[in-house]
Amino acid sequence: MSRNLLRPAAAFLAAATLFPLDSAALPVVKTEHVEAALVADRQSAQPGKPIAVGLRLRMADHWHTYWKNPGDSGLPTRIKWELPPGWTAGEIQWPYPQPLPIGPLLNYGYEDEVVLLVALTPPAGAVPGPAAIRAKAEWLVCKDVCIPEKGELDLVLPVAAGEAAPDPRWQASIERARGMLPAEAPGWKFESAIAARTLIVRMTAPEGAAMPVKATFFPARELLIEPAAPQKVTREGPRTLRFEMKLADPPPANVAFVEGVAVAQSGWPGLPGKAVEVRAPASATLAAAGVLAPAAGAAPSTPGIAGGTLAALAFALLGGILLNLMPCVFPVLGIKVMGFVEHAHGDPVALRLQGLVFGAGVVLSFLVLAGMMLALRAQGVQLGWGFQLQSPAFVTLLAALFFLLALNLSGLFEWGLFAQSMTSDLGARGRYADAFLAGVLATVVATPCTAPFMGAAVGFTLAQPAPVALLVFATLGIGMALPVVALALFPALLKRLPRPGAWMETFKQVLAFPLYATVAWLAWVLGGQAGNDAVLGLLIGLVSIAIAAWIYGRWHHSRSVWRYAATALFVALGVYVAWPQAVVPQAAGLQARPGELPWQEWSPEKVAELTAAGKPVFVDFTAAWCVTCQVNKRVALNNAKVVQAFAERGVVALRADWTANDPRITATLAALGRNAIPVYALYLPGETTPRLLPELLTPSAVLAGIDSLPVLKPATALTQR
Amino acid sequence: MKSQVALAIASLSAAAALATAPAGQPAPAFAVTDLAGKPVKLDDYKGKTVVLEWHNFGCPFVQKHYRSGNMQALQKKYGNDVVWLAVNSTNKGASDWMEAAPLTAELKKFDARPAAYLVDEPGKMGMAYGAKTTPHMYIIDPQGKVAYNGAIDDKRSTNVEDVKGAKNYVVAALDEMKAGKPVSTPTTSPYGCTVKYK
Repeated sequence: MSRNLLRPAAAFLAAATLFPLDSAALPVVKTEHVEAALVADRQSAQPGKPIAVGLRLRMADHWHTYWKNPGDSGLPTRIKWELPPGWTAGEIQWPYPQPLPIGPLLNYGYEDEVVLLVALTPPAGAVPGPAAIRAKAEWLVCKDVCIPEKGELDLVLPVAAGEAAPDPRWQASIERARGMLPAEAPGWKFESAIAARTLIVRMTAPEGAAMPVKATFFPARELLIEPAAPQKVTREGPRTLRFEMKLADPPPANVAFVEGVAVAQSGWPGLPGKAVEVRAPASATLAAAGVLAPAAGAAPSTPGIAGGTLAALAFALLGGILLNLMPCVFPVLGIKVMGFVEHAHGDPVALRLQGLVFGAGVVLSFLVLAGMMLALRAQGVQLGWGFQLQSPAFVTLLAALFFLLALNLSGLFEWGLFAQSMTSDLGARGRYADAFLAGVLATVVATPCTAPFMGAAVGFTLAQPAPVALLVFATLGIGMALPVVALALFPALLKRLPRPGAWMETFKQVLAFPLYATVAWLAWVLGGQAGNDAVLGLLIGLVSIAIAAWIYGRWHHSRSVWRYAATALFVALGVYVAWPQAVVPQAAGLQARPGELPWQEWSPEKVAELTAAGKPVFVDFTAAWCVTCQVNKRVALNNAKVVQAFAERGVVALRADWTANDPRITATLAALGRNAIPVYALYLPGETTPRLLPELLTPSAVLAGIDSLPVLKPATALTQR
Repeated sequence: MKSQVALAIASLSAAAALATAPAGQPAPAFAVTDLAGKPVKLDDYKGKTVVLEWHNFGCPFVQKHYRSGNMQALQKKYGNDVVWLAVNSTNKGASDWMEAAPLTAELKKFDARPAAYLVDEPGKMGMAYGAKTTPHMYIIDPQGKVAYNGAIDDKRSTNVEDVKGAKNYVVAALDEMKAGKPVSTPTTSPYGCTVKYK
């Protein structure tokens, strides 16, 4: 023991005697294991201009102090400044650390010497003359044992007009510290993802650069990874480096953003120094790519139908079936089923074929949509299920389509070209085309209605290779087509339905109203995306389309070219007027209304900030085009008991609005294992992963989620109207 | 699948890697001896709440909580309700390793009152729990599951003055457990000196 202690002490004495000039020149605090001093970049400071001042710590041999994230144990060094009036101090600029293994544990810190630079800024009106700078510093210095030490350090820094020369006494130390600051890397791409128990960070340098082979990642945040677990570093081509690190247990919550420093002793292409500042947002594509295959050049593993895939397929089937009950799908299917009712006493073989063709239409449409989504994602576009509705043009077209369907159901006109399912005198080919188109239509209108279970199934597909993803989407389509196909295949079931008759005309007309309601809602969605003017354009356009439909229906016996010309003219005029202009970003209209939750705008930083402050946070991932979201908002979130419970427990309600595409939301959803909304995430203090509440939300589910939180203040303190 | 196997191999190959005992999971079993040489097992305390406190008098973070009387007060306050076990995983070669006799005297001097002081000299128990620092606190519920894993409180310092005004996570967790509530903060980042494993 005595030998252990003596050796560093002797080394320290030797070090101290080597620098007698410094000690004489500035106030130095010498503790048992550290010599501390304040050093300045230049000989004097200029009024209003920042000057770099550093806390220099010289550690005795084999002793170390800590980085901002100390790793498995330890404490970062702290500085409290006492400055002349008007002076300001910036944050500590931490040089990159070195890994310090201690048995099975690992710390991040510094041996020998470290200079912690801080920018001090005198006021613009600083009077020339000496200024007294004082720093109260505290550091923990450890070898195998740890000693907490502190020192009050003084520096007299002259203030003078004009730029001063560098201070030769400390220039070497300060330059060395500057050289160890992580470099900003403009033009680089940083991504992060969590796959199972692994944190992936990927960095891509601009064109032509060659990445180092060996590197280490130091996370800025504690409890993110196991510091001592080995990091797997892989070069993916010359420009891309990828780190795989073991996540802490329990895995951390809310990893929408990974910050840290990557260090390579051989340096980084095009950047000074050995360290790069990493700010890596969560990336859905990286998450989708998953953990890398073990050896470079290994054949891509063939995905078997594992338990996870089977479960996803089961959920996809169930979710597809439930889609039929959604308000935007039901009218379309209602029409289809009515067609069957009419045909029930016709040719059962043709009926079966028709049903299968309808099913094929649904499944193919799902595959096309999924293929489009996967292709776009592969190009790095951040989007999720329901993405079509993030386009104002698509919303406009959908509104026009629904409006036409509704006018048709109301009896304003009959289809002439195809889809004459209401009239049985159509040729067989027409009926099949009709069935197929009905399938396509049902799929297109179904996408905004993410049924329960579908979120999980769609989220799962993201982490899968394309064939598995497509299989899941096809299953979703099969599920959706199943009820109608079953009716067609087993006409006996149809016999249980009421016989055709005059009621069908009434039923048809009644079904028009959910469609008008859907149009109203789509107009509102468009308003959220493209503003008031776009809504007016849409409505005028719809009037023009109504005129076209009326002309078409009023003179339906006419074979005159004028009938078709006028119809086409008004349709074209309608589409022209309705077509939305470039999207105007809308200011978030998140005013608190009485009786509703006081929503605040979501951002990953805000969630991090609030959870760090120990506040419970509830995030509503929503969009104007998501019907389930709107229902949940009315039923569960604006429930008086829920509003009161949130207020009592200090739960902060954040709304992440995905009405227009927002890559940050897409990335956060991916990190939560989802890619469709609604998603309700509850971040509770002390829990590292957020809880996800059910997609079909009930007040009791919300209340149960926050039940464990303590009540902050009596209910009377609540702002009740 | 392949990548999972690779990861498993990678984590096995990490020399002497620490296991973990995350909150919500069953607490790892242990069988060690106390300062007097008496065997102590986790099974001995079935159905009871157990507190584990990783300890080393040579550590200034531990000293903060003993000089202030904080840790002894907790041991006394909860002594009737829970089994409070101090655990020392310091290896014999470390400079702050203490033999049983001076350690017993030191505990007496500070009026420390753990139900038992466990000597985990080869560090097996500490490695099984993933104890990283002194102090590092664990609470095991009567069902044998880890209810809390982390720091003693939220003021990461060696300053005795900081004990006052700190939020003590162990107190909060034990009080919630006593009231039949779930532990609201089951995981925190422990702070202190490194456990000196071999």
